Amino acid sequence: MTTSAKPHAIEVKDLVVSNGDVTAVRGVSFTIPQGGRMGLVGESGSGKSMTALALMGLLPMGWSTHGSILHDGVDLVTQSDKALSSRRGRTLSMVFQDPLSSLNPVRRVGDQISSVIRRHTGADRKTAEAQTIELIKQMNLPRPEQLVRAYPHEISGGQRQRIMIAMALACYPQLIIADEPTTALDVTVQKQVLRLLNGAVRDRGSALLMITHDLPIIAAMCDTVAVMYAGRIVEIGPVQEVFRNPRHHYTRGLLDSQPTMDNIALDGSSRLVSIPGMVPPLHSLPTGCAFNPRCPAATDKCRETMPELGTDGISAACWHPIHLAGEVAAQ
Amino acid sequence: MAIYALRKLAFFLGAVFVASLAIFILIRAAGGNVAAIVLGKDATAEAINALAHAYGLDQPLPVQYFNWVTNMLQGDLGQSFRTKESVADLVTARLSVSVPLALSGLLLGLIIAIPVGTYAARNVGKPSGAVLALISQIGIAVPVFWAGILLSVLFGVKLGWLPTGGWIDWRESPIGAIRSLVLPVLSLGLIMAAVLIRYVRSAVLDVMNQDYVRTARAVGMTRTQALLSVGLRNAALPIVTIVGLQIAELIGGTVIIEMVFSLPGLSRMILANVAAREVIVVQSTVMLIIIFVIFVNFAVDLLYGVLDPRVRNAA
Amino acid sequence: MNTTTAPTIAPRRRRRLELNASLVVGVVLTIGFLVIAIVSFFWLPSNPNIPNIKNRMLPPGTVDHWLGTDGLGRDIIAQLMVGARTSILVGAGGATISLILGTVAGLVAAAYGKIADETISRGADIMLSIPGMVTALVLAATMGSGALTTIFALTAFFTPSFTRVIRSAAMSVLQEDFITSAKLYGRGKLFILARHVIPNIAGVMIVQFTLYFAAGILTEAGLSYLGVGVTRPSISWGMMLNEAQQTVGISSPLAMWPGLAIVIVVLGLNLLGDGLRDVLDPKLKRRS
Repeated sequence: MTTSAKPHAIEVKDLVVSNGDVTAVRGVSFTIPQGGRMGLVGESGSGKSMTALALMGLLPMGWSTHGSILHDGVDLVTQSDKALSSRRGRTLSMVFQDPLSSLNPVRRVGDQISSVIRRHTGADRKTAEAQTIELIKQMNLPRPEQLVRAYPHEISGGQRQRIMIAMALACYPQLIIADEPTTALDVTVQKQVLRLLNGAVRDRGSALLMITHDLPIIAAMCDTVAVMYAGRIVEIGPVQEVFRNPRHHYTRGLLDSQPTMDNIALDGSSRLVSIPGMVPPLHSLPTGCAFNPRCPAATDKCRETMPELGTDGISAACWHPIHLAGEVAAQ
Repeated sequence: MAIYALRKLAFFLGAVFVASLAIFILIRAAGGNVAAIVLGKDATAEAINALAHAYGLDQPLPVQYFNWVTNMLQGDLGQSFRTKESVADLVTARLSVSVPLALSGLLLGLIIAIPVGTYAARNVGKPSGAVLALISQIGIAVPVFWAGILLSVLFGVKLGWLPTGGWIDWRESPIGAIRSLVLPVLSLGLIMAAVLIRYVRSAVLDVMNQDYVRTARAVGMTRTQALLSVGLRNAALPIVTIVGLQIAELIGGTVIIEMVFSLPGLSRMILANVAAREVIVVQSTVMLIIIFVIFVNFAVDLLYGVLDPRVRNAA
Repeated sequence: MNTTTAPTIAPRRRRRLELNASLVVGVVLTIGFLVIAIVSFFWLPSNPNIPNIKNRMLPPGTVDHWLGTDGLGRDIIAQLMVGARTSILVGAGGATISLILGTVAGLVAAAYGKIADETISRGADIMLSIPGMVTALVLAATMGSGALTTIFALTAFFTPSFTRVIRSAAMSVLQEDFITSAKLYGRGKLFILARHVIPNIAGVMIVQFTLYFAAGILTEAGLSYLGVGVTRPSISWGMMLNEAQQTVGISSPLAMWPGLAIVIVVLGLNLLGDGLRDVLDPKLKRRS
């Protein structure tokens, strides 16, 4: 191992997350460079949240991690909870989906932010409070001096999420993981919060792992995208490439099923395309490629052998990927 | 918070009022001619009437109620018919037994229950957790007086370390008083602990799985730190509530334990006076106990308002 | 005229009897307890009330008196068996009456408007603030001791908390969509309560009854110990412990048996109640 600073914010290799009965993440690998932005796309049950929790070391009781997660010079999988906790909030942080349940209801929001600062920088009370107010200002929140003394239930959802973001960014982490950060918010507020997150991450030079099922968000904020299905990454590559020319049939299906101004006729004459079938439950996955029952191009090979992702950073795990020039073999 | 506190205060006063009515009606309803019973079979009609008149027992009930309440508010709790001692004096003497017993029992129960309950919550699903759950279940099924009897047999009769009963007053010998209290407090405390452990475990379990505990770890706290600083702080809410609800049980337990160990506390006094038909003494004493319990619940409500900001703003 | 009737809207909860340890042990202990009590009506080793001084204080293991005899020569096993009857009578009696009163009050509070709710809830809260033991003592004083008074005291003790439990369960059922449908069909309140609410809170009722039965046995034992519960010729385990305490200097086994009986029976009922709750709860706790 070279002794210079790690070139990547995080490097995940063959990550497997299982609780003995069910394997939620079945061999995931990706790399996010310093300051890079990656989106992790998938529906519920794809394993994207479990991946995020595994990176942070916050899996629920009974779940264990295998593989390697290289970050800040160590392999996180081998670290004790104590060692991990010194990194959480400092070099590696997370923004959760529901800010109301994720914030301590009996503590003022300002205290929650300053305690993060004091924990990792050893700053005294006054300094931490001043930095907290600064942070709140950066989050474009009104009346920071009053907000600092508010309780989570007294402020709006959008404000709460910004507080969570402030907590995650307070110590200038190398990597921020955002797990569906705006799904629980009103639509009108979502854009504001995302724009804020975007700017704050950029200003700090942090890397971002954005987890969502919402494709336009990824398109707007990320450089690369990884598409997850049934616990594995089925396609990975630069955002523009993957979204314009998807190679995996699942990615194609996802893109086609997005409602756009083109495919919604206001007279009700058009219909949204959807992927036939349903996401399989993790305890009874099909053999071979997990997507094969729903795939228009599936063959016997697909049902027998699991396709692997290539290693060059832009590929699809598919025996019959969609060719760039032509159409998929019609079913 | 102010509005919340006032609402709770209003409830407190209302509850005391209703309870006083209930107690008064209950005790007087048994009736019979109190004066006649007190004086015995051979009393003359004149003596009976004189006694009744002296204590206002010949007046209409509502008037008696009103007098009783106004007297209590002024600190006059009435007198015993036979001994003429003031109820206030009788009660105060007994309090020096009952109060330390009850408080220590509760304290011991909490001291045991909070760590053990937390430990049980952390070990849910593991053998140690199951064993604790079983022990707690058995503890709940044990009658508090049986625990007292067993302990007094073991430590008093068989080992002879501690007295099996009786009481040495604080003023005579503080050590003696404490020795008299050890087994009673132990019995009471162990049983209270068994009851509380279940609630503590359930409260901590609930809180442990909350998202905000995960967030605490996500910003750098270790599992233990998150559990103790965030988890327990939030679990304190249901625990405080439970303690409030258990006060009635605590008093019940104290009453029984006093009898097991022959301690001259309030319960002996009540029983004796009930048997002797001393209605005024019983009325006032029971009322005091009830006021105490309702007051504790009021205090718990206030404490809850202090601990949980969501409640106080809901006014 | 209108021949179509509203379909049964309320989903019936089917009770899958999942075996869990708590339930199994609870059932076994409870049934054992009930059996012993019933048998006691037909057969007893010897008379539990007639003193037999020649045989006093026999140790356990004596032929004809497998658990020994008490200070007046009366057989322990016989007394325990008769004591079981008392525990059932008083415990179940108190729990049953509280169940009925508590259900009525709880349903009224849940379904008949804010004023009814406030009054009943506040009333229950106040009654809960009064320590049960104290009430029981006072009642015993005014009404005399005995099984009936004890049942009365237990009822006063349990009804308020039963009311709260029923009220809360009923309220969550009343919020379900199928209730709104029933109302839209024009069903009256009483009908809805009887036909839809009660079947859905039946599980809660059963669980609480079991737990209060257990608590009733404990409380009755305490009152009988104090002398204000059941007295001879009726027999109560608590009363046996009171008598045993007087001979404790000489023989301690006497103090063991009634206490053990209480623990085993109360434990069995509590385990049964908890086991039932685990079986029934996932279906009852539906968040709409």
